[in-house]
Amino acid sequence: MTESPPEAPAPSAAAGLAERFGKMVGALSATGDFGTARIRVSPDRWVETHRTLAEHLPFFSFLSAIDWAGEVAVGDPPEGDVEERFEVFTRLSDVSKGEGVIVSTDLSKEDPRLATLVEVFGGANWHEREAHEMFGIFFEGHPHLENLYLPDGFEGHPLRKTFPLLSREVKPWPGMVDVEDMPTTENVEAGEPEAWEEGE
Amino acid sequence: MTDQHLLAMHHSEVQVSVELETPDVTLNLGPQHPSTHGVLRLIAKVDGEVINEVEPVIGYMHRGYEKLAEVRTYPQIVALVSRIDWVSGYASEVPLMVAVERLMDIVPPDRAQYIRLVLTEMARISSHLVFLSSYPLELGAPTPLMHALRERERILDLIEMVTGGRFHPNFNRVGGVKPAAGAGSNQKKVVQDLPEGFLGQTLAAIQDVVGVCDDMEDLVLGNEIFLERTKGVGIIPVDKALAYGVSGPNLRASGVRFDIRKTDDYLPYDGFDFDIPAGENGDCFDRYWVRLQEIREASKIIRQAVETMPSGDLQAKVPRIIKVPKGEVYVRAENPKGEMGYHVVSEGGRGPYRLKIRSASFSNLSVLPWLLKGQLVPDIIAILGSLDFVLGDVDR
Amino acid sequence: MTALLDNFWVLLALKVLIIAAVVPGVALVFIFAELKISAHMQSRIGPYFAGGRWGWAQPLADGIKFMQKEDLVPEDADRPVFKFAPMVVLMGTLAVFVIVPFSPKLIVRDLDIGVFYALAAGSVTTIGVLMAGWSSANKYSLMGGLRAAAQLIAYELPLVLAVVGVVIQAGTMSMNGIVVAQIEPVFHIGEVAIRLPFLLQGQVIGFAIFMIAALAELNRTPFDMPIAESELVMGYLTEYSGIRFTMFFLAEYAGMFSMSAIAATLFLGGYYLPGVPEGALDVLGPLILMAKVTLLVFIIIWLRWTFPRLREDQLQSLAWRWLIPLALANIAVTAVAKVVL
Repeated sequence: MTESPPEAPAPSAAAGLAERFGKMVGALSATGDFGTARIRVSPDRWVETHRTLAEHLPFFSFLSAIDWAGEVAVGDPPEGDVEERFEVFTRLSDVSKGEGVIVSTDLSKEDPRLATLVEVFGGANWHEREAHEMFGIFFEGHPHLENLYLPDGFEGHPLRKTFPLLSREVKPWPGMVDVEDMPTTENVEAGEPEAWEEGE
Repeated sequence: MTDQHLLAMHHSEVQVSVELETPDVTLNLGPQHPSTHGVLRLIAKVDGEVINEVEPVIGYMHRGYEKLAEVRTYPQIVALVSRIDWVSGYASEVPLMVAVERLMDIVPPDRAQYIRLVLTEMARISSHLVFLSSYPLELGAPTPLMHALRERERILDLIEMVTGGRFHPNFNRVGGVKPAAGAGSNQKKVVQDLPEGFLGQTLAAIQDVVGVCDDMEDLVLGNEIFLERTKGVGIIPVDKALAYGVSGPNLRASGVRFDIRKTDDYLPYDGFDFDIPAGENGDCFDRYWVRLQEIREASKIIRQAVETMPSGDLQAKVPRIIKVPKGEVYVRAENPKGEMGYHVVSEGGRGPYRLKIRSASFSNLSVLPWLLKGQLVPDIIAILGSLDFVLGDVDR
Repeated sequence: MTALLDNFWVLLALKVLIIAAVVPGVALVFIFAELKISAHMQSRIGPYFAGGRWGWAQPLADGIKFMQKEDLVPEDADRPVFKFAPMVVLMGTLAVFVIVPFSPKLIVRDLDIGVFYALAAGSVTTIGVLMAGWSSANKYSLMGGLRAAAQLIAYELPLVLAVVGVVIQAGTMSMNGIVVAQIEPVFHIGEVAIRLPFLLQGQVIGFAIFMIAALAELNRTPFDMPIAESELVMGYLTEYSGIRFTMFFLAEYAGMFSMSAIAATLFLGGYYLPGVPEGALDVLGPLILMAKVTLLVFIIIWLRWTFPRLREDQLQSLAWRWLIPLALANIAVTAVAKVVL
């Protein structure tokens, strides 16, 4: 959008945090953009990583996944090329200083399998069930990997990018018939000063 | 009776086990049940009144917000997220907006941040008052409900005064707070600020809320039967709470003195003087007590915020079209129910590529199968109620 | 006229008619009282429109509404039992009124074993509750019914034991005899005869135990576990609708009436009030008794809207560990005092 992309508010603290925990578990990468510490590990070190981190970050916040896809059925596709993969990520934090880190790993789309975290964090149970039904990721060793939200026998994995949003297919988004047409992306990008209009 | 019947009877008699066993009865609570706060279903295997196993069945309220968010722009998502936890709708909007602002490197003006803070705390009070009133009802005492809801009404009126909505304010914009005052050219003419008399009325209402807290302390916490029903019931030890992601007042009741308001900087809480109440045993009583004290602390925060409310704009300068640069950010907030977080994955579009909503009630409820094992049927309700969940917050 | 009244059957029919008309009428008044009292305790107004003034016709309107509703019977229910259960409950409640003396003469039958009869007839309602719970083919109902039965066993004992103190003191089990015993002067100060109800003659503990056990018998808060709408939906009432639900509903308030009437008779002097000449009791007696009953009913309502509900095991331990030993001690003390004094 603008020439100079905005910088993250406090990259140093989060980056330092990511670095510290990344070293602890031998992460593939550690970033602290936008004040969010993130480390990436390989799938086979998934459980071990969490077991190590649990001693420092005992609070299990959530587990979820992202479907990275070049072609999407709904929404906007990502800018540029992305590697086709599922990214599973969890967030762990402590309950004293407010430190926390997002741990992620990449899974292939052909055979998305990952070891379960239930042994390490009991709370992973429901989160993994959700990720299973929404993305079709299998968590090996999960005690009860059944649908959590979706009815039994539901076909497809709704949060995959290939899953169409049926209501949009049937009926156009009612927001389109607004009083005033939404300004198009083109004219905003063309006229730079108007884009950063007064916020009143 | 035919011979076959006799034979069948004979066989069935032979097969009777010598040992006396009482098979578990499956008791189905919900999805339509007075105490499941909506459409939660619990499949309980009970032996008499003792529970052997409970399986919560959720998803009756699942609206797929994470998918819906992918086809909406950021300002449109605000309308969705205030419906996640409808008891404190306003509080859910703030962390999402903060996340978007972090990605865009926008800092809202002080006044906007203070208004957000005041309304968030009001949402906290309104949510906790619902808990304080409905929990005794679940234990069979209907009177506190009326007393607490009477004061909650004042808080809702104040929220309505500013935002126009009681449950779903939809009041946050990227870069600040501002109600849409009509579309198009009309939007530029109307200058909106806090309504006249709002600050004064807030102080008066806060006074009454603290008054009703005193009443509740006498009425409920001083009641012998209430103590009998809640003390030592449904204890969540700290390690279980952490492993299950139990957060907010439920975690603090277990004795963890941790509050995201003190550690994170999504709103300017660092300038305020307030305590973090924490329980000792992590039982139902502590969970009630902690929420009662949190109302007092929230009142303290609101009073300070009203007294030091800065003047200025309500909105930072933002582009006409909100396009968010590429990046991932996780912002969490101390919501009335616990840790509410949004993991926004932006690919540079007008809406998120992926929005993970971390809602507090979901994790708080996930501890239930562990917690209810071996309890009595009446304690299902006592424990369930004390977790203070909202089904919209569980199912999203 | 008198000849007609002397005929046993005519008199009986008349008495039955009076009870069948008066008791539900009074129950309706108590329902209205509960609506209004609870409303004012919760800073509400309560019924306001039905009947014009104060919404006095609300219970009537509710009753008519209930009667219009379909009388549903669950498919798997044990039909005859299911249909009969509310009648048993109502019958048990009404049967108690046989021995309640409203005035020296206004009593259906002054049985020699009046107290015993009252307690026995009162516990018949629990059989009806158990029938309702069992026949509904509903797990909530069943649990409610079983809870009611467990509660009956636990609380019938303290109830009976609390009454024994009064019986010892009065030396009779006839209800009228007990009232007469309370009219007897306890002692004299100069010329003035001091007449005291048994409550003030040392049966305070007995009265407290009786009222607590009566609450449990009536399934009223804090002992309303058989209904416990937050756990068991409506307990044994879950599957009932229409007229049969009305019968349960009416029986609850009629039960409040009968229990309060027994308590008033046993402990508060029944139809007698010190200072009222004995000749006027025939006329004033019913009014005096009703005043006492109303007071007790008010206390019952007051408790309901103040307390949460106990847990089933806590209720049992309260009965067996506190009420029964206390009641036994009360009997011992009363007996000793009776002999010594």
